[in-house]
Amino acid sequence: MNNQQALATTDDMSTDPTLDPTIQRKHAAMIERLSNLHQSRVSNKTDLKDSSFESTKSFLLQFTNSKQAIESSLTQIQQIPDADPTLDLKPEIEKISLSITELEKLIAESSYFLPPYEVRSSLKTISDLKQTLDSVASKVKPRKKFSFKNKPAKKTEPTNIITKESIENEPEQHSGYKVKDAPGFRSRENETLTKEFKGSEMGEFVLSDLTNCEVRLKGCLRTLFINRLQNCKVYVGPVLGSILIEEVEGCLFVVASHQIRIHHAKESDFYLRCRSRPIIEQSFGVRFAPYCLSYDGIESDLKVSNLDDDTGSWANVDDFQWLRAVQSPNWSILPESQRIDTLII
Amino acid sequence: MGLLSIIRKIKRKEKEMRILMVGLDNSGKTTIVLKINGEDTSVISPTLGFNIKTMTYHKYTLNIWDVGGQKTIRSYWRNYFEQTDGLVWVVDSSDLRRLNDCKFELDNLLKEERLSGASLLVFANKQDIQGALSPEEIAKVLNLDAMDNTRHWKIVGCSAYTGEGLLEGFDWLVQDIASRIYVLD
Repeated sequence: MNNQQALATTDDMSTDPTLDPTIQRKHAAMIERLSNLHQSRVSNKTDLKDSSFESTKSFLLQFTNSKQAIESSLTQIQQIPDADPTLDLKPEIEKISLSITELEKLIAESSYFLPPYEVRSSLKTISDLKQTLDSVASKVKPRKKFSFKNKPAKKTEPTNIITKESIENEPEQHSGYKVKDAPGFRSRENETLTKEFKGSEMGEFVLSDLTNCEVRLKGCLRTLFINRLQNCKVYVGPVLGSILIEEVEGCLFVVASHQIRIHHAKESDFYLRCRSRPIIEQSFGVRFAPYCLSYDGIESDLKVSNLDDDTGSWANVDDFQWLRAVQSPNWSILPESQRIDTLII
Repeated sequence: MGLLSIIRKIKRKEKEMRILMVGLDNSGKTTIVLKINGEDTSVISPTLGFNIKTMTYHKYTLNIWDVGGQKTIRSYWRNYFEQTDGLVWVVDSSDLRRLNDCKFELDNLLKEERLSGASLLVFANKQDIQGALSPEEIAKVLNLDAMDNTRHWKIVGCSAYTGEGLLEGFDWLVQDIASRIYVLD
């Protein structure tokens, strides 16, 4: 990381943004001419004495030095006897791989003034170095397996802590990697579920695996996930982010949100207020109508969530499986005569 | 040599990069692109198809292809793989239930040969939401450490809502791509 920054700064110095580019170019050309002149003069007296900027020789010198350093540390690793299983060579190898990358960058930075032959040959050197490193790393790897018994105590410590947490939080979840579960109502039947959110607890919420339930969520939410609901009625205050609805059947939703996505919905009615276009996928028999919820303080909640005016987007439904210009057969607008009245919860 | 070096310098300044943004639906891809471009993010509809954004980032020109993530259109992702320099995979860190889907789709993507040279930036988005997983946890779920070691990758926590972390991620991506492109020149 540091290295990248260092390279970036040298680059910036050579192309000072405050200077006019044409002046800069002229300046560069002038310096080039002068240095060429100087070089031809000097070369009459001494043979090789050139360490100026953008010189092939100084590049080659630097390149060879770093290359030798890398090679020597590679041979060092190779010479380490196999008998020492406690020695962890991974950081060493990573260090070498880093210096190879550095060297690669050096070529990259210098490639514009180097003769093509030098670029090719140095790139070849790099790929050779990489190959050697790979073979060394693969030789070292089996050793890692031997030392495996010693390591877990240190290495998997953080993982252990997390699994412990997950066991405390949700004992039923064993498969997969889950650290915690979001707050929500799960696996209920024939119940009325109510929750009121205050400003400080604005976060995510989950409704999943509910049957024949009525859900009332008052106050603002940040995001809402709805999954596997049957014959439920869901009334929700404004959601600042997005709502994701999946696998619902025979339900009634009254929700407001910036984004609404509906997947695998069957025979359900949606009373929406939405800042953007609601979308459906793999759904059929879904009907749409405007938001019609009311509770004490809903006006200010809607205002806070920037959902206080109805933009009419609830009717602009995109069916991702129906890309033709004619109306999708999967959804319709609920006729006014069949809509429910304003709901007060 | 004088003129040639000048031409090369100019050419280098105009470097273009092609960046492909993908991820599950609802992960915030479009919001990230608009936010980093300084545009209004208050009304964004789920992407039906794709958006292309061209922007100048430091001395590079980025062509960002933001492709919709809905399930029905994920199969079209592969039409955008060609010539991709950088891959941005966006994760909704608050969507715990679909993390397995997310891992599945990412694994599929990384098998793609046409993307084998692309640098991978994983954005653990929506860090501003209470209860979102940290980038470290996301990295574990997606098992990023097990990735092929020739792949350049990095995971960055971000919030497209507040803008936090976006520049850090793009800085890394652009730097990483730049270091490869120079050599190939």
